[in-house]
Amino acid sequence: MADVHVPSSLDEVFRLLSDEPSATLFAGGTDVMVRSSPDMRERGPFLCLERVEELRGIHGSATEVRIGAATTLSEVIASPVIADLFPLLREALRHVGAPAVRNMGTLGGNICTASPAGDSLPPLYILGAEVELRSLKGRRRMPIDAFITGPGRTQLEEGEVLCAVVIGKEQGFNFHHFEKVGQRKAMAISVASLAFGAETRRDGTIVKARCAFGSVAPTVFTSRLLNDTFAGNTLNTAVLDRAVAIIREGVSPISDIRASMEYRRQVAGNLVMRLEGAGKDR
Amino acid sequence: MREDGRHFLQGPRLDAFSKVTGRERYAADEYPGEFLWAGAKRAFVPHARLLAVHTDRAAAHPGVVRVLTSLDIAGSNRLGIVRNHQPVLVDETIRHAGDAVALVVAESRETLREALELVTFDHEPLPGVFDPEQALKEGVPRIHGDNEEGNLMRAVRVRRGDPDGAFRGCDVVVEGVFETPRQEHACLETEAGWARVDEAGVLVVVASTQTPYRDRKEIAAALGLDVNRVRVIAPYLGGAFGGKDGITVQCLVGLAALSAGGVSVKMWWDRRESFLASMKRLPARMHYRLGAKKDGTFEALSCRLYYDAGPYAGLAGEIMAMGVEHAGSAYRIPNVNIEGYCVYTNNALGGPFRGFGVPQSTAGMEQVVDMAAEKLGMDPLELRRVNALGTGDRNCVGVELKYSTGFSECVDRLADHPLWKEREAWKASAPPWKKRGCGVGCMAHAIGYPALIPDEANARVELTESGTIRVYSGVSDMGQGNAGTYLRIAGEILNQDPATMEVIQPDTDHGLPSGTSSASRTTYTFGNAVIRAARSLKEVILRSGARCLEVEDIDSLELVPGAVRIKGSGRKAALRDVAALIDAVDRSCKGYFRTPYDESTLGIMYLGAHVLFSFGAHLARIEVDTLTGRIDVVDYVAVTDAGRVLNRAQYDQQVQGSIAQGIGYALMEDYVMKDGRHETGDLATYIIPTSLDVPDMVSIAVETDETTGPFGMKGIGEVVISGCVPAIANAFHDACGVRITRVPLTPERVLSALAGQGGKE
Ligand SMILES: Cc1cc2nc3c(=O)[nH]c(=O)nc-3n(C[C@H](O)[C@H](O)[C@H](O)COP(=O)(O)OP(=O)(O)OC[C@H]3O[C@@H](n4cnc5c(N)ncnc54)[C@H](O)[C@@H]3O)c2cc1C
Repeated sequence: MADVHVPSSLDEVFRLLSDEPSATLFAGGTDVMVRSSPDMRERGPFLCLERVEELRGIHGSATEVRIGAATTLSEVIASPVIADLFPLLREALRHVGAPAVRNMGTLGGNICTASPAGDSLPPLYILGAEVELRSLKGRRRMPIDAFITGPGRTQLEEGEVLCAVVIGKEQGFNFHHFEKVGQRKAMAISVASLAFGAETRRDGTIVKARCAFGSVAPTVFTSRLLNDTFAGNTLNTAVLDRAVAIIREGVSPISDIRASMEYRRQVAGNLVMRLEGAGKDR
Repeated sequence: MREDGRHFLQGPRLDAFSKVTGRERYAADEYPGEFLWAGAKRAFVPHARLLAVHTDRAAAHPGVVRVLTSLDIAGSNRLGIVRNHQPVLVDETIRHAGDAVALVVAESRETLREALELVTFDHEPLPGVFDPEQALKEGVPRIHGDNEEGNLMRAVRVRRGDPDGAFRGCDVVVEGVFETPRQEHACLETEAGWARVDEAGVLVVVASTQTPYRDRKEIAAALGLDVNRVRVIAPYLGGAFGGKDGITVQCLVGLAALSAGGVSVKMWWDRRESFLASMKRLPARMHYRLGAKKDGTFEALSCRLYYDAGPYAGLAGEIMAMGVEHAGSAYRIPNVNIEGYCVYTNNALGGPFRGFGVPQSTAGMEQVVDMAAEKLGMDPLELRRVNALGTGDRNCVGVELKYSTGFSECVDRLADHPLWKEREAWKASAPPWKKRGCGVGCMAHAIGYPALIPDEANARVELTESGTIRVYSGVSDMGQGNAGTYLRIAGEILNQDPATMEVIQPDTDHGLPSGTSSASRTTYTFGNAVIRAARSLKEVILRSGARCLEVEDIDSLELVPGAVRIKGSGRKAALRDVAALIDAVDRSCKGYFRTPYDESTLGIMYLGAHVLFSFGAHLARIEVDTLTGRIDVVDYVAVTDAGRVLNRAQYDQQVQGSIAQGIGYALMEDYVMKDGRHETGDLATYIIPTSLDVPDMVSIAVETDETTGPFGMKGIGEVVISGCVPAIANAFHDACGVRITRVPLTPERVLSALAGQGGKE
């Protein structure tokens, strides 16, 4: 039987972490519990975050929205603030697992797992989200793409906790799109996903666009070249063909039991084709 | 209430409330007092000679009670139904990754886990055999040295007429090679049970099993016990679908109990062990060739079917034989040459799974029929109608159909359905990047066992001392709800509300041998026996009622809920009072039934053929995403002739469950093995459909009146699953103009098929 601690404040979390540096943080546990199944043997001790109020909830300031790391995915999805300001994030989270998983799983957990298939990550990259980390040594903030360094790897240091995700309110996107390809319609790990946000004119000309892909590289795939390809153009065939070529060239997928490298590469390109003609004033 | 007054047959499932509230207990839910845990050490190598098993470290581990090996087994240590050659614990040769080499009995599950790691064994790897067609070649290592035909477990050939000549006379000949995957049952309740040697020295095994009576004999033989010293009890199962048609935990937990000094021992496979050690639907590769006249009349069929049995016979040869028997689906074909081969490999165990070999060959046949329709320029349903089997026709193996045969009506009803008739408009309105297609798949499915195996049931219905009607079920309820149906049937005969009655689940001590919960027979065969038993009991009750009410003529009496009443009068005698006047032995009545069979079919094929069939015709409407390759089943219509519908909800549940499983089989389920390793060993990698992947389904019943069936019914449990793969594969061809001959139709296969056609559009 593993030791489980249930602290009720962040200070207590830090105290416990300095006593037991090997403790595993346990937010919703939907990733940790899989890893602690008999075969995987992550044995604790576990430090539960669900009662730590400082880590929960969605709060806005004048310029930013702060989502506590231990806020569940369902809570994020249900938030009117998120629906209003970041519909792309909401849409992506609706594709995570199934209701039970979203009711337990947290945004912080999804980020810290740093899976190439983490569904919150492509939209968070597009939205320029930053993560707020705290430890007894202090507080630091960094962009999410700097925080995640590889599959399952982050900049999180010993004794450090991800406290919140901070997203600027002013995004300027009036068009967004998310598509996830999995092996079935729910409870599916992404085989490839596309998040797309753009600011468009009435005629569909793109002022600026950002694309991010999941599951086709060790971390979320983004490309300045790709984003720039869209600027000043409508989503027409010629532009999309160019985009497809850049995507297929840029991604570096793996083959596994779910899909081959070739399939992922092809589909990553195909996913932008769905945007053809989109972005016009609706 | 129906016009004919069969109101006790209708209504919600009697086990619905106890199931959704979790009150019903599966074998896995039982924690029998002070008990021990048993667990198997699995081989994880596909083929090897076992040299030694080292148990000392595990045995010395605190909390470990016993570590057992094959040397501790007093009996034959062999399981099997037709051939007995599967070891309970390996003594010489490991033949698949899930074989068990040792058994640990421990005080807790954690200790058990630790101890299993301490058991080690020495082995000498043997070259493995993994492809069934390769396995038959010269010089390939033999999986059973004593099998005269190398790795061929069984071949079944049926030849009728003059196929070669007939093919020469055909206007159109089409052919194809089709493949279907290995499918895992993925039951809610994984394999589980517990056992104990009772005060009288009897080994009592309570297990999640479809086959308590057959298990009893297998356990006795393998463990060296007198069959009368073994008792098997089968509570409600949390799903089985054929995966518990035979021994899973029974012998292991029995062996553990024999050395546990009267203490109960429980075994419960976790999902990974279940996937590793349980049976799967046999993968098949099928070479099909079909010839027809210009007007569509089928003239000749030739096919070779290869079924991958895995390492032990189990029921694999019989499954393949069913595939052969149904190789021509539901059509008249005068000239046939059907060859079935069931082959040993070092892959996962092959075994029964809803459909029992028929979904495989139907997938091949129904696709080749669509190919013929295309070549003939005929409507695919019209071609099926032209060749449809009717009463008096002979099916592909030559059996004359003398029982209800509503296949043509199934085809007609489907042809009339708006989802079929309005398909062209629907297809034409496909959104961007989508292609739409409609496909049909038809099927027949035999009821009961083949002629050589008596398909018998013995029911017992009792009026208890307290006046309750009790039915002793002889056939496990694996979730299909047959136990409740037995109550309804008895209630119908005895005019008693089934909610006031009692059912006793199969127990070799109480019930009478009644065969297995399989073969689309559970309601057909046992239900008939219940009717007979209930009729006898009715007579007993009325006679006693006559004494109670002091009337002469039992015809003046009737049974009403809870009582016997004088017709047209208010005078009644409560069943409790009626029961008091009957001798205990006479309060319990038996009923026997044997499913119809025809001895003259014994010469046709191995075990003989069947004579009674259910039929169906299906439509799948699908949407193919040309960017991702994903297939969406948008609409599904299943028209079924399974005789009269006893209970509409339970009938439709069988239809819907079969379609869901069939959609999984067609689109995503594929238990992948590589060199004998299990590559999809858990539910994260073995993908089954969710509720979102299954569309709303239309179930239409063509209610032929099967005069031999209880209230006119035939089996509904299996027939439906065989239609899904061909309907969906044919719909894919309809949508995209290209055929993928290997299911599941994964997005990846779809995209590469579309690319092969020249471009992503
Ligand atoms: C059946 C199932 C389906 C799933 N489907 C999807 C899916 O479709 N898409 C998807 O993206 N994911 C999916 N997941 C994965 C998982 O649900 C998500 O990643 C979820 O967001 C994880 O959140 P959690 O709170 O449960 O994380 P936990 O399991 O509690 O933690 C995950 C990791 O993050 C660490 N951690 C958690 N919180 C913090 C913190 N505040 N600071 C520092 N470290 C922390 C933990 O120590 C652990 O290493 C699925 C999981 C399951 C079991």
